[in-house]
Amino acid sequence: MNYRVGIDIGGTFTDMVFLTNDGSALTLKVPSTPDDYSRGIAEGLAQVFKGGIIAAGAIAEVIHGTTIATNAILEHRGVKTGLITTHGFRDVLEIRRLRMPTLYDLTWEKPQPLASRANRAEVIGRIDHQGGVLTPLDEDSAVAAIEKLLGNGVEAIAVCLINAYANGAHERRIGELIAARAPELPVCLSSEILPEIKEYERTSTAVVNAYILPVVARYLTALSASLERLGVTAPLLVMQSSGGAMGVQAACLRPIHIIESGPAAGVVGGAEVAAKLGFKDVLTFDMGGTTAKAAIIEDGAFDRVGELDVGAGINYAARLLKGGGHHVGVPAIDIAEVGAGGGSLVRIDAGGALAVGPDSAGAVPGPICYRQGGTIPTVTDANVVLGFVNPDYLVGGELTLDARAAAQAIKTQIADPLGVSVDEAAFGIHRVANAAMTRALRSVSSERGRDPRRFALMAFGGNGPVHAATLARSLDIHTILIPPTAGVFSALGLLFPATEHHYVKTLKREIQDLDGAEVAAAYSVLEADGRRELASEGYGADQVAFERFADLRYRGENTELTIPLTDGDGIGEATIRAFGDEHERTNGYQSADEVVVLVNLRLIARGLSGETRVPESLLVTTQAGGAVTRRPRSVYFGPKYGRLDTAVVDRGDISESGLDGPLIVEEYDSTTVVPPGCRIRRDQWQVLRLDIGAEQE
Amino acid sequence: MTEAFASAQDASPKYESARDPFTLEVIKNALAAVADEMAGTVQRTARSFVVKEALDFSTALFDADGTMIAQGTCLPLHMGAMPYSILAAQRAFDGEMRPGDIYVMNDPWDGSTHLPDVVCVKPIFLGESLVGYAATLAHQTDIGGRVAGGNASDSTEIYQEGLRLPPVRLYDGGEPCVSIFRIIERNVRVPETVLGDIRSQIAACTIGERQLLELIEKYGLVDFEAYCVELLDYTERFTRSEITKLPDGEYDFTDYIDNDGIDPGPIIFKVKITIAGDGMVVDFAGTSPQVRGAINSVYPFTASAAWACVRSILDRGIPNNAGYFRAIKVLTPERSIVNCAPPSPVAARGLAGFRIADTVLGALAQIVPHLVPASGGSSPDAGVSLGGYHADGKPFVYLEFLVGSWGGGPWRDGMDACTGIIVNYSNTPVELLESEQPLLVERYGFIEDTGGAGEYRGGLTLERHLRFLGDEGTIQVRSDRREIPPYGLDGGAPGTPSNVRIRRAGGEIETQPSKFLTTLRRDDVLEVRLASGGGYGDALARDPARVLGDVREEKITLRHAAEAYGVIIGGTPPAIDAAATEKLRAQRRGP
Repeated sequence: MNYRVGIDIGGTFTDMVFLTNDGSALTLKVPSTPDDYSRGIAEGLAQVFKGGIIAAGAIAEVIHGTTIATNAILEHRGVKTGLITTHGFRDVLEIRRLRMPTLYDLTWEKPQPLASRANRAEVIGRIDHQGGVLTPLDEDSAVAAIEKLLGNGVEAIAVCLINAYANGAHERRIGELIAARAPELPVCLSSEILPEIKEYERTSTAVVNAYILPVVARYLTALSASLERLGVTAPLLVMQSSGGAMGVQAACLRPIHIIESGPAAGVVGGAEVAAKLGFKDVLTFDMGGTTAKAAIIEDGAFDRVGELDVGAGINYAARLLKGGGHHVGVPAIDIAEVGAGGGSLVRIDAGGALAVGPDSAGAVPGPICYRQGGTIPTVTDANVVLGFVNPDYLVGGELTLDARAAAQAIKTQIADPLGVSVDEAAFGIHRVANAAMTRALRSVSSERGRDPRRFALMAFGGNGPVHAATLARSLDIHTILIPPTAGVFSALGLLFPATEHHYVKTLKREIQDLDGAEVAAAYSVLEADGRRELASEGYGADQVAFERFADLRYRGENTELTIPLTDGDGIGEATIRAFGDEHERTNGYQSADEVVVLVNLRLIARGLSGETRVPESLLVTTQAGGAVTRRPRSVYFGPKYGRLDTAVVDRGDISESGLDGPLIVEEYDSTTVVPPGCRIRRDQWQVLRLDIGAEQE
Repeated sequence: MTEAFASAQDASPKYESARDPFTLEVIKNALAAVADEMAGTVQRTARSFVVKEALDFSTALFDADGTMIAQGTCLPLHMGAMPYSILAAQRAFDGEMRPGDIYVMNDPWDGSTHLPDVVCVKPIFLGESLVGYAATLAHQTDIGGRVAGGNASDSTEIYQEGLRLPPVRLYDGGEPCVSIFRIIERNVRVPETVLGDIRSQIAACTIGERQLLELIEKYGLVDFEAYCVELLDYTERFTRSEITKLPDGEYDFTDYIDNDGIDPGPIIFKVKITIAGDGMVVDFAGTSPQVRGAINSVYPFTASAAWACVRSILDRGIPNNAGYFRAIKVLTPERSIVNCAPPSPVAARGLAGFRIADTVLGALAQIVPHLVPASGGSSPDAGVSLGGYHADGKPFVYLEFLVGSWGGGPWRDGMDACTGIIVNYSNTPVELLESEQPLLVERYGFIEDTGGAGEYRGGLTLERHLRFLGDEGTIQVRSDRREIPPYGLDGGAPGTPSNVRIRRAGGEIETQPSKFLTTLRRDDVLEVRLASGGGYGDALARDPARVLGDVREEKITLRHAAEAYGVIIGGTPPAIDAAATEKLRAQRRGP
């Protein structure tokens, strides 16, 4: 029996899921090794191989979700990076878009540019916005710039010239001049990595890629080597922010695509599991220790955005006020994130209101109940006091908890000052945390013109299933889905997507001036790129599929909508109609008399593996823990119900016909809260389905 | 209607009172989210650079009385202005409002603050009863008048500045008032852009209406209104408790605008901030009378600038609503540049707003010296508008407000190239600009050695060079800080002054005054240099390692290191000559 392995690295644990095509799954949680994450992976795999459950030779594919790229940026561990710009534009990278991500803040710190001013050099030569050459490239100035940067000891160079999206000839020539002097040096040309209009955004994207490229390449090379040492000869794939996988060579060249690797896997998993159950419209909700993430799946597909703001921190307004981090123009699943998780700190503010987060107790000191020195109550402390989370232990008994200390702190710091009981205060904390998370869910739904009430909520992550029911009620959502292996769900999600590559080309034309032949030619170039990339990953000519999209907007608008092409190969009336409909849904109106503008052509090239990647059914076994007796406990479900003796069951105890709340479903990696008035049943694929009943009594 | 837990709580005796802090927090978040969703709608669908890229717009929600209960995360300078538009709408349509109405207005004394800022107000009805308002304000790229762009500083009465609409119906019971749309269309140079932006404002009002009604339905009107009252009280309490933490006393500061472009200057901005217990008064007594040029500020704009500055030294958790205003009183002399009377021209009143902010911050720096930086070029002091006609007769209007760098602060150097706290502006990408306007950008970057010297230096200034590719255009620039540069603090040097030149196609260079209007012809180049940030603290106390860092970064030259900071650096790679530095600094400090 062959296995495919999904490996998802987090700050504390590395999660692994081994899956056969017929649906046998084995899950494993091992401690992460932040000094060299590949060591933790190797140790985890060695443990499984040694146990004789699975042989190294039986591994058919390894798919990896990693934070290595993100961490290199956040922790300033990229390489010394040089940047070559057009004369007069040396400072584009540092000027950025000027905007701050918060209002009224005298203490905000602007991120340091990833290529310092001394490592930014100008060349003479100018291209206009239509791609015409206004001033030819002065090669002497280019050589002088290159030699200055090499003299400074840069370890990678990005090249971004004004209007290179329209004509990359000067950039390519500079690339050749660098290669002639430093053949091994990584070089990223903006016209190759992101041929899109807007110079800061393109420059930043090229610079980020150059900055992290050597770090990511080193890590993935080391991981490949240690897999080989263990006898795993299967191909290594890496998850992209877009929700597709990519081969390890491509990831080493374009590491900007793997920045949101892990969170993307959760959404992809959510989409596939929802499809198995016949749900087309789902909101995914992934709540961990410090943040909660939300994404939308509509008509079976998740939404993508064209950019990430890496290192922006967590901010309610981040989607409106960009500019907190480093801009990276890559396709990414549209995931909204808020700073509310189990570890979020709770206090009473100066106005006398309860505030939850966005600062977090983190792993150390952690919640008070973890007994590691925490003194400020957290959301997890409240959930423990309520009885939602087992007051005695976590992770199958590996971590024992101090519920009494948590209750005491909530009493003195929250309940007494507000004049309410400890239970009421804890329940209030739970609700206020939900209010913050509601903003993440709304920002992917109602903010985009989608009514959250017609979606099912798929909850996962360590804390997602704890909050799902109360959250669904505050959003008037009626159905909740808790997928199998909810606490390590991203590792499972890694196993589902196909290999894919995204390509973009700016072609800014008003629709009435569009030349069909020009569009066709541009798509052919993108398709040739896709074919070449997939061929190098072992896909034959008949194993390649393409999907075409166009970014359209009304003349004068800021934001394009990405529309799948429905006119065969070109952009015709059906595409324009689809754009109008989408504009109406997202923005509330469409207008037939306005001019539509094409901005970008997009292409997704997919490798078809022939086999189904999502098994028909699933049978999960856990490698560790779980041997814990389940006793009923007292759980507080709000002032109306008060404390109720509540049965605690295992997922396996729940039948297809279902059980009525109140109920707690306790598993090795997550806990699902089923309040009174809700019914839980086991659906296909081991998914727990909660029906949130209409208002009781 | 099925939030069982919330309703369960609300039904219990303990939660009958509107003072349940948990529900209050939930409603506070929900209102802020609605205002932000309105803002997102404007941003996605607006047509002009000024709205979609510079985010020069605001959104807000009001209760049935017209009290502001939430504001979107937009432009701080609009903070206190929009309530005046609600008042104006109430005055105009008292008893005549009905579902489906939208009112539009842009009179500066009705909360618009200058004619390009068009305000749309939508009354919200639950059944037949009025329960609130959704409003949006957006800076239009053109509003007619004698100069394209609606921002000329050299008009002398409001009648020259463009279309001036009192509150009128834009929609009447759900039907568009075609005549008003036509009046706007005929009066502006770029109707497609302006009507596109107004359409985005309407869309945002509709979204605000829908979502406010959802909230009211969820909690019930009686409870919802009770919580709104409590939210305003809570906000006032929060603000007052923050003010209580500040030391009681009176704090004065004076700053200047060079001139109004017509009469000689300087124009004086004087403020006295009084803190007594939990209240604060910001008094502009002693400020210059209103001026002939169009840089006068109406009272709501002045108050907004003051409120926004004070907000930046208080806890950022204070919600954005009218409860905040109650604790901070703003006083202004009648017929002054900070409270002008009609028919004063006000188009370029932004400049007064920035200087009001500089003045207030200068006083606040005495109250919270650990927090407030020196003045800089981080407000869009230089406004450029260029209008004309393409060869095919189609009009073009280019409007941009240029932002520079921060002044040095108590613990750090001024941020090089970053917007300030009262206008969260952005720049227009060079490539977008070139693809849509008859312009070629030749340079956009820092100028070395320009940050005001100090223990923490001011940010470097920025320069932008624009080559005109059309046949003929009218250019209007309103800039400042040419004669009186941004101030330093605590002994830091002021920033370097601004400058604006035109390099004519023939090669001759014309240095322009800070405010001017002239004609550009093909291949003329406009060169705008902003003022740089002032320094903070004694330059001779600057850590030599920081000076070396700036040299290595190529932000200052060796010569500037010696002249401004008394730090001698030499060799390859550059290193500090400690002995020579000590000697030079001792000599500079004198006996």
